[in-house]
Amino acid sequence: MRPDLLVIGAGLAGLSAALRATQAGLRVRIIAKGLGTLHWSTGNLDLLGYLPGAPHPVRKPMEAIYTLPESHPYARLGPERIGHCLSWWQKALGAAGLAYRPATPARSNWLLPSPAGAVRPTYLATEAQAGGDLSQAEPMLIVGFQGMRDFYPHLIAENLTRQGYAARAATLSLAVITRRQDSNTLHLAQELERPGRVQELAAALRPLVRPGERVGLPAILGLERHQAIWQGLATALDAPVFEIPTLPPSVPGIRLHRALTRHLEAQGVQIQVGLTAIGFQADRGRILAVETESSARPWRHQAEGFLLATGGILGGGFNSDPQGRFWEVVFNLPLTVPQDRNAWFRPHFLAPEGHPVFRGGLAVDGCFRPVDGHGTPLYQNLWAAGNLLAHVDAIQERSVEGLAVITGMAAAEALLA
Amino acid sequence: MHSISWHSVDHSLDECIKCNICTSYCPVSAVTDRFPGPKYVGPQAQRFRSPHQPHSPDDSVDYCSGCRVCNEVCPTGVKIAEINARARAQIVAERGLPLRNRLLGRNELLGKLGSLAPAAANLALHNPLSRLLAEKTLGIARHAPLPTWSTRGTFGDWLRRTAHRRLRSEKKVVYFHGCATMYYEPFIGQAAVAVLEHQGYEVIVPPQNCCGLPLLSNGEFPAAERYHQGNVARLAGFARAGLPIVGTSTSCTLTLKEEAPELLDREDEGTAALRQATWDIFEWLRALHEQGELRTDFQPIPSSGASLVLPYHAPCQLRAHRVGKPALEILALIPGLDLRESHARCCGIAGTYGYKTEKYQIAMDVGQELFDFVQAQGEAVPYSACDSETCRWQLEHGTGLPSRHPIEVLAAAYGLYDLEQRRLVREAQS
Ligand SMILES: Cc1cc2nc3c(=O)[nH]c(=O)nc-3n(C[C@H](O)[C@H](O)[C@H](O)COP(=O)(O)OP(=O)(O)OC[C@H]3O[C@@H](n4cnc5c(N)ncnc54)[C@H](O)[C@@H]3O)c2cc1C
Ligand code: SF4
Ligand code: SF4
Ligand code: SF4
Repeated sequence: MRPDLLVIGAGLAGLSAALRATQAGLRVRIIAKGLGTLHWSTGNLDLLGYLPGAPHPVRKPMEAIYTLPESHPYARLGPERIGHCLSWWQKALGAAGLAYRPATPARSNWLLPSPAGAVRPTYLATEAQAGGDLSQAEPMLIVGFQGMRDFYPHLIAENLTRQGYAARAATLSLAVITRRQDSNTLHLAQELERPGRVQELAAALRPLVRPGERVGLPAILGLERHQAIWQGLATALDAPVFEIPTLPPSVPGIRLHRALTRHLEAQGVQIQVGLTAIGFQADRGRILAVETESSARPWRHQAEGFLLATGGILGGGFNSDPQGRFWEVVFNLPLTVPQDRNAWFRPHFLAPEGHPVFRGGLAVDGCFRPVDGHGTPLYQNLWAAGNLLAHVDAIQERSVEGLAVITGMAAAEALLA
Repeated sequence: MHSISWHSVDHSLDECIKCNICTSYCPVSAVTDRFPGPKYVGPQAQRFRSPHQPHSPDDSVDYCSGCRVCNEVCPTGVKIAEINARARAQIVAERGLPLRNRLLGRNELLGKLGSLAPAAANLALHNPLSRLLAEKTLGIARHAPLPTWSTRGTFGDWLRRTAHRRLRSEKKVVYFHGCATMYYEPFIGQAAVAVLEHQGYEVIVPPQNCCGLPLLSNGEFPAAERYHQGNVARLAGFARAGLPIVGTSTSCTLTLKEEAPELLDREDEGTAALRQATWDIFEWLRALHEQGELRTDFQPIPSSGASLVLPYHAPCQLRAHRVGKPALEILALIPGLDLRESHARCCGIAGTYGYKTEKYQIAMDVGQELFDFVQAQGEAVPYSACDSETCRWQLEHGTGLPSRHPIEVLAAAYGLYDLEQRRLVREAQS
């Protein structure tokens, strides 16, 4: 029953680390307080979209890594190691049933439309989103649904047009997809899986599409049968169809979450959600067990090694108090965040350099072990990965998934060594 | 009016980041327009509820089944199901409660009454005419899987009849049986006693009350409070003496540990002692196993094939304990048992939810995911398994296949219990 590795956190970092460690033969168990932020991710893999302070998206992220400060987790790993992690991950996801596509030319970023009609750089795109490639000239017809929240085709088309991309908008009734009064994106994706719905949608779309146009839809084209629905729709319309990610819940992110968790469970990995880690036991520099909160008494989880992937302030891995103190919640590890509230933010809300508080986090050594102020590892069998790491502002950089996947895998490789 | 305290949920409300993960997983809002989902009726509507507010802002919260899937997936730990339970209690406090809910909340009383003449009671309850009548007059769905009273005597009768055979030992454990075992399914208690004695423990079964959960989930807090105080008076002494109190009904043990103390805002020493001492029986057996003290002298369970295929569903009440799936871990030790874990969210019944006419179909639609899973395991599957009694009845109703408690399976693996006849082997012989 006792696993070799206990991963704390079921976000992209924890799941990717578990994937790598399981492949190498370790018995892995994952515990998490709730589901990770994949449910609001685009489902693509963003590697590095913007450099701090730079107004334009990064076109060649592997080259841009050389310009990052040397404390940045990417700079410490280097492009070669990163490339290796990404191709490993892409292959593993392919085996789990999700195909990802790199942009052309090689090692460059895709530029894809966001749900606000902005241009969004990403590195590995899902097949259905890759069709929105803004370097292609085909005009776009962006279609939304009357009554669907948070997806406004006219806004998207207008913003794209303003930036020089040919796009126009159309709206269909939501009744084409669902008979329900109120639905979120996930429910809509499930409704589209009902027999005949795709044909009904195609019939409603057909009169709208002009020859030579590609059709952009909100990312609701099926959950389990996504591939068949997406391709079926394109065939029925005889036009390319692509998805634009939506606000949460994000169906492409949920597809990625499902593919990863099923793949892991099929290999015997136990994933237990609803468990909040609240404490630990250690002896002479080794973690012995992590405790989770339960209905009556803490539950102890013993393991040989522990990997912390609880995310930063958004994932729930950090906490703070009104005075400005910041701490890591499970092991009470020191953080590099300024421990004074006044130093958290710059005066301008949208400061292009970002805010110091978001660069703060957990400092680790070259093997991804959390360290003290002198750079000495605090525990021999504790590793950390993902969005809780210091020296990176992943949301500003558009590197959220890349950071999770790459550091998750690299930490797993370090602990295997 | 009994004023509802929001004490333990108020803070959790502010943790909501509006991510909608809960709404994506709620099994009820997935199948009906009558329920807009956890985020809306929970943390969102909660902004408009307060003890000074004359009317509740939102009735649809009554369609929350209390399954707690939302709590489990919420990334920030918002206590959504508890917010909903309190909101329902507030509606009850404002408007009173239909007779139907009063009846369904009184499992213990119904159990006692029916047990006076179980055969007649079963006949009276389970004929189509009275079910139709109950639907028309009370709103209890006519096809819903109501239990049958035990015609082989209550669990208490069995305990008295077999008192001379109880194992005496230095090592002692207290057993909390709950109403369902007492009046409807005494064989679950027999299997539990047999398994505990097999580990060398003396089993104490003190007088006890209904845990009060049916009352809590129907929003009748004052009545639940009386039950709870009764249990504290009768059981806290054992807890103080350091004895573990184990139960086979996941909802009863959850109520003793957490639901009653939190929903009723009880922080007294007796409640705390009882809470700390209470275990789900498999949670306790797992702890025993971790200390290397669980007996593993298993025998293959008789089955038609090479191995016994057993689809297992962890009930939501167990998930709410936040102790993982201990029954699955223990049953995995049994050779020749091919366990298949269900990932379905809920069987739908949610205590007494699916008994109500307006909710029966919702409960069946919610359960479909689970029924499909069980049926997909093949023709030769003889049983499904689940720790919770109402879920087992729903599973049987939805799949047409008998369902067993994991403790029955474990007792059978020790050679103590006949899984088909649902009786102890040595009693079948005598
Ligand atoms: C509303 C919202 C919108 C966002 N939109 C965007 C966007 O458009 N673009 C973008 O790039 N980023 C966005 N982000 C941020 C991004 O999603 C996250 O920063 C990133 O996914 C973090 O990945 P991770 O794997 O490191 O951690 P997470 O995915 O956060 O996973 C953390 C895991 O750890 C678990 N956990 C935490 N504490 C404990 C504990 N004590 N015990 C056990 N388990 C624990 C959590 O339950 C979770 O499973 C958004 C965030 C939010 C909140
Ligand atoms: S899952 Fe939790 S944080 Fe997200 S909307 Fe629901 S209650 Fe709020
Ligand atoms: S407890 Fe269950 S039914 Fe109620 S809101 Fe949560 S997930 Fe939905
Ligand atoms: S009915 Fe069963 S499966 Fe559903 S809420 Fe209850 S315990 Fe859960």
